[in-house]
Amino acid sequence: MNSKTSRRDFLFAGLSAGLTLPVMGAGSSMGLWPPSGESAAKPAGSPVKLDFKTLGRTGLKVTTLGFGCMITSDPSVIERAVDIGINYFDTARGYQHGNNERMVGAALGARRKQVILSTKSGAENKEGLLKDLETSLRELNTDYVDIWYLHERGASTDIRDDMIEAQQLAKKQGKIRFPGVSTHGGQQQLLPWLAQKGVFDVVLTAYNFSMDPGMEQAIASAAKAGMGVVAMKVMAGGFRDLKPGDPLYKKLRQDGAMLAALKWVINKPNIATTIPSMTDMDQLDENLRAMAHPFSAGEEKLLAAHLEKIGPFYCRMCGQCDGDCQKGLPVADVLRFLTYADGYRQFALGREKFLGLTQEQVAVRCGDCAECTVQCPHGVQVQSRMARAQELFA
Amino acid sequence: MKAAVLLLSMLLAAGVARAQDYLNCQFAPGWEQSGPKRQYAADNLFDYKDGAAEGYLIYGFARMQGIDCKSGGDTLTIDVSEMNDADSAYGIFASNRDPSLPIAAIGMGGQVQPQSASFAKGKFYVEMVVIAARPDSDRSAVLKSFATGIEQRLEGRVTAPETLQWFPKENLTSARLVPESVLGLRLLKRGYVATYKQGQAFIVLESSPEFAAEVLKKLREHFDGAATAQVGDEAFQAKAQYLGGICIFRKGRTLAGYANLPDSQQAVSLALQLAARIP
Repeated sequence: MNSKTSRRDFLFAGLSAGLTLPVMGAGSSMGLWPPSGESAAKPAGSPVKLDFKTLGRTGLKVTTLGFGCMITSDPSVIERAVDIGINYFDTARGYQHGNNERMVGAALGARRKQVILSTKSGAENKEGLLKDLETSLRELNTDYVDIWYLHERGASTDIRDDMIEAQQLAKKQGKIRFPGVSTHGGQQQLLPWLAQKGVFDVVLTAYNFSMDPGMEQAIASAAKAGMGVVAMKVMAGGFRDLKPGDPLYKKLRQDGAMLAALKWVINKPNIATTIPSMTDMDQLDENLRAMAHPFSAGEEKLLAAHLEKIGPFYCRMCGQCDGDCQKGLPVADVLRFLTYADGYRQFALGREKFLGLTQEQVAVRCGDCAECTVQCPHGVQVQSRMARAQELFA
Repeated sequence: MKAAVLLLSMLLAAGVARAQDYLNCQFAPGWEQSGPKRQYAADNLFDYKDGAAEGYLIYGFARMQGIDCKSGGDTLTIDVSEMNDADSAYGIFASNRDPSLPIAAIGMGGQVQPQSASFAKGKFYVEMVVIAARPDSDRSAVLKSFATGIEQRLEGRVTAPETLQWFPKENLTSARLVPESVLGLRLLKRGYVATYKQGQAFIVLESSPEFAAEVLKKLREHFDGAATAQVGDEAFQAKAQYLGGICIFRKGRTLAGYANLPDSQQAVSLALQLAARIP
């Protein structure tokens, strides 16, 4: 996909690909979960359909909806997810200073071996990593984890040989089954590097419908190399974080859009599973629907409408404004840098790119222009967005 | 008018200066600042904390300031997060603290360990971590000096949220603010949960008695076989698959109750004790 592809094209291309593939993808299978008797949490309607995919060369069969435990506070939600048949649970040593691992361990209890459990360490050397692993095993009340990620790696330079040694040693000792890497940034460079490196079985990456089209190719490179790909931040750039009262809330939230965003990722053939955060039974039920039904034409429209809503904020990189700025600013580029910060939460990347402009361009303040000469055909509020970029980065 | 503006400016400047005072490396001898101070807001905390940022945002994170200090081969990282209110600051502290260790009298509450410390005071949640040259060394004395120095310069409440005092103390193992979905129920949006040797208690403050009554009604509809109980202004009890024996009651605008008990009658008995402690 070339870099000029618009986000709308990207979305529709993804949808088209999804529609030409079987819903479950090759090698996937389905199961049924009968509803429980507890009405506080019982799903409405028919039994839940469980969709499975194979997690790359690990051979693990994972439900396409996994469970990100990071902000879950009540173990009952995890217990119910296990009852339903969700079989992939993710935590990390750093979440709530270790309290999250303890809660997950208690919630899984004797059923720990029925599920695939992953945790992570952000330690920066072999000794620290192995120390963290021992603590994780103790807190999770288990003698092994299925996947152990190096946490928050944004570049190949964040992964040193002694870290790989730690993972290999832990695997040899039977304390982990598969080594992995988790990443929120720099994926387009990092994923192909991980694929080429060949020592990691799984990658956990931020991925959602609003991201740069190049992500699809990066993920494909990892999948092609046999890595299992797990997606996080699947709810469109974390807009779930917005609370009522936030000025952006009404503009960016739309009924059904989050579910559609989750389905969009689940239906990507190279994504084995997803780990949306879930804090309550209702959220679990909503997300289960994403696994049971294909990405529909209605949701195609919904996400398109969602893109319309975020339109005033996000440049589609169509290039139609090239050369329109009287001050010579590369408008699409600056808006893209802002998207790194606002949409993908990669502030440092956005700032680095912004400061890479010429000194004259960095010095421009769009608020000084009485009228903006750039009129976006897609409705991006160019002057205010450019001013925000200048305020944020300059 | 000009004098008033000038005075206001001076007061603001003094306030900012005082606020910045807490971020320095002089709270223990031999420590010096390393690198510039850092500052993050809700829209770029992700850049610093990565995925863990969500854990701050759900507790009403507003901004963070931080500094690194060095002494010999040791590095001390200090991060001071400002939350929307003091309850949230205490909430994130309680969520992150080690429940196996006691709470120390630093601000509203704190903990000092060999290589890390945290505490909450007013709207502020402070975290400190030492990366020591010798991994097993005990730096708790230094951390205590820094914690004391920073705590003295931060303004705000020094008592834990009053609501926590309402929980009975007997057999209590921990109590904390749950920022969303108390007991995993979306209807109970935000509240305090106390964990006991057996069972859990919770307290949720709603905006009005009428709204609390609405929520209670909806909760009752969710539980099969819910039966009326005589606790507070109105209550029900039930046996639930995931929450065990449960009793939820309303007292004024407060919703509270017990869950995860062997049977609902036991939950009712404990709920009566809790109701008596709620003003």
